[in-house]
Amino acid sequence: MKIPYSWLKEFIDTRLSPAQVQESLTMAGVEVSSCRFLGEGFENVVTAKILEKGQHPNADRLSLCRVTDGAVDFDIVCGAKNMSAGDVVALAKVGAMLPNGVEIKKAKIRGKSSEGMLCSEQELKLAEESAGIMILPAETPLGKPLADALGLSDWLLEVEITPNRGDCLSVLGVARELASITGEKVACPETPICEDGPPIGDLVSITVTDKALCPRYSARVVTNVAVAPSPGWMQRRLSLCGIRPINNVVDVTNYLLLELGQPMHAFDLDRLNGPRIDVRAPSEPMAFATLDGSERKIDPGMLLIWDAAGAVAVAGVMGGLNSEVTESTTRVLFESAHFDPASIRRTARRLGLSSESSYRFERGVDPGGTLFAADRAVSLLSRIAEVLPAKGFLDVGGGPARRRKVTFRPARAARIVGTYYSPEKCKEIFERLSFPTETVQPGEWDVSVPSYRFDIEREIDLIEEVARLSGYEGIPTTYPESKAPEFSADDRFVDVTEKACDFLRANGFNQSVNFSFVSGRKWERLGSLLGFDPAGAVRVKNPISEDTTLMRPGLITGLLQNAADNTRRFIEDIRLYEIGKAFGKAYAEGHFEESRLALILSGKRLPSAWSGGPVSVDFYDIKGMVEGLLLHLGAGPLHPVPTNARPFLEDGKAADILANGECIGWFGAVRRELLAEYEIPGPVFYGEIRLQAATATPRPVGIYRPLPKFPPVFRDLACVFPAGVPVGDVLALVRESAPEIEEAVVFDVFTGEKIGKGLKSVGIRMKLQPSDKTLTDADVHSIHTKVVDLLENRFGGRIRTA
Amino acid sequence: MGTSAGTSDQIERLRAEGLAALAASRNESDLLDAKGRFFGKKGAISEILKGIGSLSVEERKVVGSEANRARAELESVFEERLASIREQERVAREGLDRLDVTLPGRCQVPGHRHPISQTMADIISVFRRLGFSVQGGPDVEKDYYNFEALNFPPEHPARDMQDTFYVESDAGDLVLRTHTSPIQIRTMERMRPPVRIIAPGAVYRSDSDITHSPMFHQVEGLAVDRNITMADLKGLLTEFCRMTFGPGKPLRFRPSFFPFTEPSAEVDIQCVICGGGGCRVCKNSGWLEILGAGMVDPAVFGFVDYDPEEFSGFAFGMGVERIAMLRHGISDIRLFFENDIRFLSQF
Repeated sequence: MKIPYSWLKEFIDTRLSPAQVQESLTMAGVEVSSCRFLGEGFENVVTAKILEKGQHPNADRLSLCRVTDGAVDFDIVCGAKNMSAGDVVALAKVGAMLPNGVEIKKAKIRGKSSEGMLCSEQELKLAEESAGIMILPAETPLGKPLADALGLSDWLLEVEITPNRGDCLSVLGVARELASITGEKVACPETPICEDGPPIGDLVSITVTDKALCPRYSARVVTNVAVAPSPGWMQRRLSLCGIRPINNVVDVTNYLLLELGQPMHAFDLDRLNGPRIDVRAPSEPMAFATLDGSERKIDPGMLLIWDAAGAVAVAGVMGGLNSEVTESTTRVLFESAHFDPASIRRTARRLGLSSESSYRFERGVDPGGTLFAADRAVSLLSRIAEVLPAKGFLDVGGGPARRRKVTFRPARAARIVGTYYSPEKCKEIFERLSFPTETVQPGEWDVSVPSYRFDIEREIDLIEEVARLSGYEGIPTTYPESKAPEFSADDRFVDVTEKACDFLRANGFNQSVNFSFVSGRKWERLGSLLGFDPAGAVRVKNPISEDTTLMRPGLITGLLQNAADNTRRFIEDIRLYEIGKAFGKAYAEGHFEESRLALILSGKRLPSAWSGGPVSVDFYDIKGMVEGLLLHLGAGPLHPVPTNARPFLEDGKAADILANGECIGWFGAVRRELLAEYEIPGPVFYGEIRLQAATATPRPVGIYRPLPKFPPVFRDLACVFPAGVPVGDVLALVRESAPEIEEAVVFDVFTGEKIGKGLKSVGIRMKLQPSDKTLTDADVHSIHTKVVDLLENRFGGRIRTA
Repeated sequence: MGTSAGTSDQIERLRAEGLAALAASRNESDLLDAKGRFFGKKGAISEILKGIGSLSVEERKVVGSEANRARAELESVFEERLASIREQERVAREGLDRLDVTLPGRCQVPGHRHPISQTMADIISVFRRLGFSVQGGPDVEKDYYNFEALNFPPEHPARDMQDTFYVESDAGDLVLRTHTSPIQIRTMERMRPPVRIIAPGAVYRSDSDITHSPMFHQVEGLAVDRNITMADLKGLLTEFCRMTFGPGKPLRFRPSFFPFTEPSAEVDIQCVICGGGGCRVCKNSGWLEILGAGMVDPAVFGFVDYDPEEFSGFAFGMGVERIAMLRHGISDIRLFFENDIRFLSQF
């Protein structure tokens, strides 16, 4: 909200400068985000009169003017055409620095010297565009600073009002706030009215059917109105505050909206049937044309203003076309009401129609101020136009303003804030706020709150008033009493992710952060490649764009997109990972979320391979990375099994990882068709880990076993198997075949003519570790034979002989 | 065996020959060979000493001392030559084997943590050191937790403070959480005071420009106990800012409004860019808003069945991107979500 400093000064004759007002209000919780001097760039720009206007001898388009500021005459070359001798204009003298950044210097233009410039409104940033130079009213005194002549020796405060402080959405409200800080007094304008017209009761009657939604409805009437433009000063203030001037009647209502925070509506009384007013919500849906020309769909429950024939306004939101004040209007009814905030908000939201009026009603308009606003409207209109005010006013639901009584205990304030406020200090603050206090019993007061402070209902609200108006800077800094913190499951999870980040960082991975929402259209289009289940999708009702409609079912599209983008930026080796949630529907809570860690890998195995040439990553790099990470995180034992349940991975190059019977992740080569979609050339490998499942069982604490006392024996064997036999199963079998076999690792796998079609040779190294004696040749031979027999029986393995 | 004079001559000859042989040796084995022939255990000089028994006591003295002297001299020359030859060989060998130590080693170049993730981890770590424990909560949240129990009644304009994404659902009103504050409610529902938690996570608001992203991250904090005061809040946040932005950065606590805290405050830190003089980043105010905070509103305690007369607490929340932008001098929030490796590898 914008407030001119001069307007504020009319309500509180503050000793504070505009900058001090900004600082004080901000530090009391009414943030003034900017305080701008309106005359910025108008130094050395003065009012002047054109004495003569002649043709420039050397340029058809230029004229030569002689102007005077009343004391000195100037020769000015001017490119505009719209002025003539006798006009009062804005003269930028040499040395002026205009708001548009132009510096005025003494110049020679086509051989004629120019001692300044005649300014257009555009050059002065008073308008977006202008046809020629600015012509000021003929009666403007000469030689005056332009800022003064235009009323721009003023400051514009931009005030940010939080939703709880609807009472500050006006000049009066901000003035009251300033008074509560400085202790200065707010002065409300007098509202003299010459009630020479007919009694208002003879002109209109008012009923309120929905009293709950409209607790108060005040009105005044003026007759013999001549609708015309409002005076310059009023138009200027409205424009400064962002409201377009329309005519004197409408401008008065908008002026009071800004000044008192009371939204008002002006009806053309002659266009009201009856003439009578009722306030109620319709019981059936209906249509209504608002004065912006739109046909609105009105639902039952939306509060309307009616005349004898039909609806004439959407209460508190916008008036109707049918009762709008026009140039031919002569009799006006000023409506000044209090509507229920929630009702107005519901209506405005459902109509998609937020107005200055509904904005204020939603936040609470002072029910005690309606009549004063109506009086001020008539009084103000009388000042700027010839009118005949009707005698008296109508005020349904009127009466003495209701004050709320709220209990306050100074000791309680100290307990919450952590500093002592003396009862005298508290009393003084409440006095500045115009909150009278009354002692109920020692240490407990009744504080009486005016009707405009909707936000003060409870003791804590009063404590906040005391704290903020005493200044937060006065609150000491202490430290909360220390307690041993709990170590939660989420603490452990944070540790797990930290470990994962360290591991991946050491392995050359950069971390991505992608949006949790993805393009539903894309997931649907690539549904069969991504394994998308539309029935299990969690969708955003009001997405910000086409790319954010679906809560991601998995992390793959984000990382593929990152890989594609980086490939396009000439980055050859892609190593990226992301930790984030995947979403889906579930029975219990309606949806599930699961923390995942995904990684994507392509390019070279090592960044700089200068000997032996670069080696590209393959399936076993992603496998090693995923398994290494899982072991690092304490998961295990891990059982990778071939899978065809991950359609985004190549068939035959994809595995699920099982641990304790649960699938805790998957990895493999990304499907070629998917890479083509993202225009990524090379093979790309991908893995995704279900973090919670993977780390559900923390690795148990290690229990010491005595170290072996006898030397181990290493035995290699080369065995030929049918090509389909999984080496993992072979190794597992070897490990289980004798208690002495502590370790069995594969050191070589190859196929070829020498081995035979459909066969592969696997080299296995066994470590035999006896626990109670040194192994003899006979022992070793017997174990070896046992292993060979098992491999032959179980997998058709046959020992290779040189 | 001849006379002692003849033996002396023989020793002198052997000494001369031995020295010549040592001098002529080009490698370690030549040297050892020479040693063996002349002064080793079975060398010629040793042989002479073995035969010394046949000589008179006088002669024995003379010959013995001459032979020992000759052998000692040869021994010393041998050691010298051996050292010199070994040194020559070492130099020659290493000359051939010299490696270019500037060639890259065989390992991964470490990757980079995302600045949001790093900043979040740093914030979490500060508060864990200050005795806070981590709590998470769902991103897809019930309206009740995101708004209602945080004292945003339905149809309250405070809801306009946060442009909300709604989620299609058969199970009641679901939103993408607009802040991490719902975790306050979920935690208080689950446990009794003392409560002292921080809650990090992604949050969502329907807003997008160079300082707003539809998804961003927050860290929320909550402490509830008997006798927790606003002064405690001030002390804790002062400590947090000192640990995060370094010492000597003034803070400013300014009254503000959040539906779930009262009194509420906005916390500004002296502009880290201009040091308070005024610049574009702080919009010439010299201050940067970095977090919102306040005392837990009694209405919130009402929703979780805590007695506000017995317990009090404070809550605070901060935007992780904002702090990361200030720390790293990043001016466009969208850079965080492009995941350009050239960007990521700067942190």
